[in-house]
Amino acid sequence: MTPFKFSIAENPSAAIGLLQKNNSAAFLAGGTNILDLMKEHVTNPTEIIDLGRLQLNTIKPTTSGISLGALAKNTETANHPIIRKDYPLLSKAILAGASAQIRNMASNGGNLLQRTRCSYFYDIAMPCNKRVPGSGCAAMEGFNRMHAIFGWSEKCVAVYPSDMAVALSALNASVKVMQQNGNERIIPFGDFHVLPKDHPEKDNSLNFGELITTIDLPKNNFAGHAAYVKVRDRNSYAFALVSVAAGLDLQGNTINQAQIAMGGVAHKPWRALNAEAFLKGKQATKVNFTKAAELEMSAAKPLSHNQFKIEMGKQTLINALEMALKG
Amino acid sequence: MKDTKKIIGQGIDRIDGIMKITGKASYATDYPAKNMAYAVLFKSTIAAGKITRINTAEAEKLPGVIKIITHENAPKLNVKGGLRGGALLQGPEITFHGQHIGMVVAETFEQATAAAHLVQVKYQQDQAEKIDFEKLAKNPEMPKGKELADLVRGAGKAALVNAEVKIEQEYETPIEHHHPMEPHATVAVWEGENLILYNGSQIINGAQTAAAATLNLKPEQVRIISPYIGGGFGSKGGQWANLVLTAVAAKMTSRPVKLALTRQQMFNSVGLRQRNIQKISLGATKDGILTTLAHEIISHTAVDSEYIEPCGDCSKVMYEVPNSLISYRVVPMNIILPTYTRGPGKSTGSFALESAMDELAHQLKMDPIALRIKNEPKKDPSNGKPWSSRTTVKCLEEGAKAFGWEKRKSTPGTNFSGDDLIGYGVACGTYPARQRESSAAIKLSRKSRLVYAVVEIAASDLGTGTNTILAQTAADGLGIPVAQITIKLGDSDLPPAAGSVGSVGASSFANAVNDACNKITDELIAKSGKQFFVRPTASDLMNSENIAAFETQSTSKAPVEAEQYSAHSFNANFAEVSINKNTGMVKVTRFLAVTGAGKILNPKTARSQIIGGNIWGIGMALTEESVIDPRYGNFATRSFADYHVPANLDVGQLDAMFINEVDLIPNKMGVKGIGEVGIVGVAAAIANAVFNAIGKRIRSLPITPDKLLPS
Ligand SMILES: Cc1cc2nc3c(=O)[nH]c(=O)nc-3n(C[C@H](O)[C@H](O)[C@H](O)COP(=O)(O)OP(=O)(O)OC[C@H]3O[C@@H](n4cnc5c(N)ncnc54)[C@H](O)[C@@H]3O)c2cc1C
Ligand code: SF4
Repeated sequence: MTPFKFSIAENPSAAIGLLQKNNSAAFLAGGTNILDLMKEHVTNPTEIIDLGRLQLNTIKPTTSGISLGALAKNTETANHPIIRKDYPLLSKAILAGASAQIRNMASNGGNLLQRTRCSYFYDIAMPCNKRVPGSGCAAMEGFNRMHAIFGWSEKCVAVYPSDMAVALSALNASVKVMQQNGNERIIPFGDFHVLPKDHPEKDNSLNFGELITTIDLPKNNFAGHAAYVKVRDRNSYAFALVSVAAGLDLQGNTINQAQIAMGGVAHKPWRALNAEAFLKGKQATKVNFTKAAELEMSAAKPLSHNQFKIEMGKQTLINALEMALKG
Repeated sequence: MKDTKKIIGQGIDRIDGIMKITGKASYATDYPAKNMAYAVLFKSTIAAGKITRINTAEAEKLPGVIKIITHENAPKLNVKGGLRGGALLQGPEITFHGQHIGMVVAETFEQATAAAHLVQVKYQQDQAEKIDFEKLAKNPEMPKGKELADLVRGAGKAALVNAEVKIEQEYETPIEHHHPMEPHATVAVWEGENLILYNGSQIINGAQTAAAATLNLKPEQVRIISPYIGGGFGSKGGQWANLVLTAVAAKMTSRPVKLALTRQQMFNSVGLRQRNIQKISLGATKDGILTTLAHEIISHTAVDSEYIEPCGDCSKVMYEVPNSLISYRVVPMNIILPTYTRGPGKSTGSFALESAMDELAHQLKMDPIALRIKNEPKKDPSNGKPWSSRTTVKCLEEGAKAFGWEKRKSTPGTNFSGDDLIGYGVACGTYPARQRESSAAIKLSRKSRLVYAVVEIAASDLGTGTNTILAQTAADGLGIPVAQITIKLGDSDLPPAAGSVGSVGASSFANAVNDACNKITDELIAKSGKQFFVRPTASDLMNSENIAAFETQSTSKAPVEAEQYSAHSFNANFAEVSINKNTGMVKVTRFLAVTGAGKILNPKTARSQIIGGNIWGIGMALTEESVIDPRYGNFATRSFADYHVPANLDVGQLDAMFINEVDLIPNKMGVKGIGEVGIVGVAAAIANAVFNAIGKRIRSLPITPDKLLPS
């Protein structure tokens, strides 16, 4: 770690104010990601602004759904009675991630901003456009088993690692942020994380100095028909090879609306829009699930070590839809 | 009153358990020293070539930095002093990615770490670097070690052409790391020309002689202190550069210095289990009698030093077969030197052999247990010596009963449970039983009719329970309760002993202590000048003869007759797996290891040893793999986020059973050793269970979900 100054923010505007004064400062929430990155010298902030005192840790129902404080912990969120009852998909996704200890520390806002687990990104001896723009992408021709099959660019093939965000994507969440000028801005979840394109150094559409205050979820009709399936190299405490969050809004056996997002396949939670469009109005059958999965995966572009993700993605999509149907 | 109940063989709690869980047990870096400085290593970022320039100017400016040590200012050391893996800062040459190229010594660990990051290094890269295993493995070389020359029996592999049934397959195992809970760490304190090294060492006297020789000192100038060790698994058997570099830093700064490797540095500082490609060719008659066994091995090693784990060892002794070949070929690479890693050779070798045996059983439509029993050798096929005892068949039979083997479906892919497929697998293993020369001292004292004993031996306790079994041995040998016994080990000033390596620890140390107990009792009897009808205990004699203090020391060796026999521990492993048919994720739901290892000194610590080996075997089978990027020679798997050791959810119900075996041939106490054998055969049993569950044979470890996708 490089030595840094430690500051404590008493409220959201103070936090923003501190950051405005130092453009190499960074916010600290649970610290489970940023401290690792600092120890590995991937990021070297000269000042850490602790958000621990901000009153942004509540989870409360709103007229349109529910609002999750950016500093509420992952564990609290997953175990909140309303989340468990009305948004079981979110609860399941959070609990499929990390370990109990990490979830106890991890905040909801920090979870959205966790950075890729590409091992070349973490190894400062390696070229990596995300860490050092213009230095090249070591994963492109390297060991890319964990990497993207959708939406990657020549500049970066990394995947975004959060499980929670995959569920948030399927649930049509939105992210509320406080801007530098103190005004609020609402970012629809689909626009929050971005594809790497020419600027892989940017993971999301947050501007420097913006603070996430809440993550808001609209009501949904598929609490009884939702599933999160995560395939990983060991049974706990591993990032997804592929994961799928699926919710079905059913009328009898007819699908009014399917909302499906995939993890472990792209630089952002990958909304399976083709599969969703195909399933709309169709019968909830294995044949239709399979067709939808095949349709979605047909656009995949694998790299040298992750060809398997196409079949795995297909199987996991089918599996998640069947589990959602079963309820 | 005489307590006639034997403590040996009872599953008493570890005598140091409370100390460990309350943090009172001192590990290497827990030793306080006044005015301590902290060293942090920095490492090369190329695999082969040389350093052309090291710029330490920026780093030196940081507050707290005391000294930066590189090949440009390091003292000259004896590189042939017996340390493993080089990297002693003796020159600009680089032979592997992650080689130590220097260290910063600072007032705090944080300052040293920050400064190490600021050192700038320029290299001239060697274009002929050897880092692409797949390419190099096409043209492997002959090994230098004579013990690895081709071993041919009968007509060798040529006999395969005549076999009625054949299996010819290649099995691959990846690089694995030891990653003990306690990383390698040292505190070095100079007292004039003498050096104390607090350092976790599996072989106390080995660490002492290697450190002394490397530093051009006499062994008696170096003292190793290592009473508690947080695991080693072979990586603390030989010692690595970090041990001596701590002493160098301490000398150059005239301060006590602490140097602890980070978890990340553990990947390329202290050896590893090498990658192997093993080809097994089995020939058999239609009714399952083996006629040929060829085991051809290709392994990588370092460019400047050879270590090859003996993957062919199980194939030498497991089955009766008239024609056999065992051959080794090597691929020297710019990677840190591989080293002893739990069950060296036997764990990886048994994966190949025991998978192939399962393939043969399947092809013959035979039960895999029956096939093994049918080919049971009457004597050691590798040297014709009689077995001191052999428990393979008992392990298989008693295990099958306890595990419910009869519930196994012989047709793969037919045992469903909801979305899961269930499979059973079996595999055998073995490890040699040996006793190595060790000395022990006993010091008795008496306080108001209570006799106390201090047992001294330069043994090591890796966390396996050595302290406890030695206390039990002394309790029985002296007639004193465990609570009145103090075990002192882990210090090179104590009577010299073998190491906790190759499963020789328990037999060597316990026999040494037992012999010393007998000797002290004999000496006390002689001193009394009396004749006894019933042999009294040392404790009785101290009281009856009113002796305040008495001590002795003795040295023990393996009995000479042991040479005429082949002595081994044996096991049979039974695995039940459950595989989710949609995701391909495997769970080991039940695992039973049945072990014949002679006298079990403490069933509780023995069970922990065995299931610990089993858990690493689960890792070997399902999760652990280190990948080298063939362009750079670095590990692409460089943290525990990428290198997956099994988590709790990966481990189902584990059971360990021991065969009741009395075999006094290998040593007087009949102790055979369990540390290594616990992992042997485990990966094969799991891979065989995976085949039984879904009918897919995975010959390349680990068995990750991508390998089990429907195809
Ligand atoms: C070993 C390990 C395994 C893991 N496994 C998984 C897994 O399987 N699945 C999974 O989903 N996750 C996993 N995680 C990641 C974990 O979920 C994240 O580290 C965690 O959610 C980050 O939250 P935090 O509060 O600790 O963030 P911090 O580390 O404190 O912050 C992360 C980033 O967000 C910024 N930030 C934090 N809060 C705000 C805010 N309100 N506004 C603006 N910026 C902010 C910080 O400046 C920093 O850049 C794992 C982590 C570890 C260490
Ligand atoms: S994939 Fe992205 S994060 Fe990984 S090395 Fe390439 S640019 Fe860096």
